[in-house]
Amino acid sequence: MALRRQVAQWPWQGLLVIILLGLAIGLWIATKQVNYEWRWERVPQYFAYQDEELQTAPFAGTVINIGPAGDSIQVAIQSEQGGLPVTVTVETATLKVAVGAQVSEDDEIGVMERKWRVGPLTQGLWVTIWISFVSGFFGLIIGLITGLCRISKNPTLRGLSVLYIELIRGTPLLVQIFIFYFFIGTVLHLDRIVAGVGALSLFVGAYTAEIIRAGIQSIPKGQSEAARSLGMSAAETMIHIVLPQAFKRVLPPLAGQFISLIKDSSLVSVIAITDLTKSGREIITSSFATFEIWFTVALLYLVVTSVLSQLLFWLERRFARSD
Amino acid sequence: MIEVNKLIKIFEGRGQVVRAVDDVSTQVAKGEVVVIIGPSGSGKSTFLRCLNGLEEFDDGQVLIDGIDIASSKTNLNAVRREVGMVFQHFNLFPHKTVLENVTLAQRVVRKRKPAEALDKAMALLTKVGIAEKANEYPSRLSGGQQQRVAIARALAMDPKVMLFDEPTSALDPEMVGEVLDVMKQLAREGMTMAVVTHEMGFAREVAHRVLFMDAGKVLEDAPPDRFFTAPSEPRAQAFLKQVL
Repeated sequence: MALRRQVAQWPWQGLLVIILLGLAIGLWIATKQVNYEWRWERVPQYFAYQDEELQTAPFAGTVINIGPAGDSIQVAIQSEQGGLPVTVTVETATLKVAVGAQVSEDDEIGVMERKWRVGPLTQGLWVTIWISFVSGFFGLIIGLITGLCRISKNPTLRGLSVLYIELIRGTPLLVQIFIFYFFIGTVLHLDRIVAGVGALSLFVGAYTAEIIRAGIQSIPKGQSEAARSLGMSAAETMIHIVLPQAFKRVLPPLAGQFISLIKDSSLVSVIAITDLTKSGREIITSSFATFEIWFTVALLYLVVTSVLSQLLFWLERRFARSD
Repeated sequence: MIEVNKLIKIFEGRGQVVRAVDDVSTQVAKGEVVVIIGPSGSGKSTFLRCLNGLEEFDDGQVLIDGIDIASSKTNLNAVRREVGMVFQHFNLFPHKTVLENVTLAQRVVRKRKPAEALDKAMALLTKVGIAEKANEYPSRLSGGQQQRVAIARALAMDPKVMLFDEPTSALDPEMVGEVLDVMKQLAREGMTMAVVTHEMGFAREVAHRVLFMDAGKVLEDAPPDRFFTAPSEPRAQAFLKQVL
């Protein structure tokens, strides 16, 4: 008899399905208990909606002619003061006036062109993505510099970087955002977006610095010794030999850090930056679809973080070529 | 070519003070092959690493081609260009191909044009018999092949001196020969070499002089035939009895 036995997988997979189903049913019962009425149909309009462009009379006057023009209708209006008639184009089905009708200024003639407009959820999602991206970019630069200072021989650079890292890692991000916005932002007259991005960059920079320091220190000493023995300077050794190898090693923890950053960026909504979270809160006040919107917001965060994690996974595999 | 005066290197740690290199004076003439042997922990690797400043020595003087490497006026990087080094664990750059390993320092340090660096690299890889692996990554090579690439990498800088730090100690026995052959060829071509090794056959065949080190001191400095047949120091006699 072999030590390694074949164990059937399907009972466990079945159990998994049952547990998930149980959770879903539990959720449904729970919402029934609080008499919640689901209104999922209200959600899509917050991604994108059709805007009706109302056409009104430019002045008081009389409709003198209505004639078709392609798919729509042209309405000619003659002003009471005389002068040339003005034509207004509206969609056929929405025409509100007849020939000879008297119209006063700003009276509705009809609707022209329903334009697709970006809804608040999409806008919020976009703000979240670009704030995270910009903060991540600056955070990476800050982290790289701080990480290098952290292992420098100069006590001043080392002391400053340690102080910065400890300050940031030892205080809550929410408090940092408030300090950055209400104190630094007020002193330096910073825009709220700048304050938000600044706070997030400094936050992610401190964590990135520690990751990069660990990455650099994980590269065997023999690598820099070999480079130095060839006559490369300390900087050339860092750029050509140590950092490329270190970067490859720290990619997984860096990826985790940036995924955290996307989620942490929701905290900038407290200083009235309309990111995905704040958009969600604003929509709820007008739609009353509390559960649906929060579930949608959570799903959107999940989509963004999953895409990023797939992207970094792909990058990691590309870098693994030389292993 | 190399001149060493009263070199001292002290390691301190955990309350212990180790005089790894203890008042060593010697010289290596141009074209000379000097083999340094001795029991492990005798300071021979540390001594070798002091010669290109990888180890910061505490006292004494190292002159490479007449240049004091410890002087504040000396650009150590410029000196290291002229001193090639081969390590026990090869230390090839794993994120670069074999070819890039050999061309990188030529371009960065010697500022050679890519085409020139490439020609030089291919010529050297052919010389060490590994040109067909030029586009592989080091992890795909055997230990012996990696060490030959490391030798080519050091030679690409056109060094005046080559330092070998136990180049065959990390190799499987059947790969030792291929690396030693490359080193023998270099010696025949007149390269100035300082070699720390446990390969007594290599020392006997190629060395012009053998230095025997123990406890940080050079106890014996003799041509190989005299050293291997009639060593004067009792500790050298005991060591030879162990290894031969």
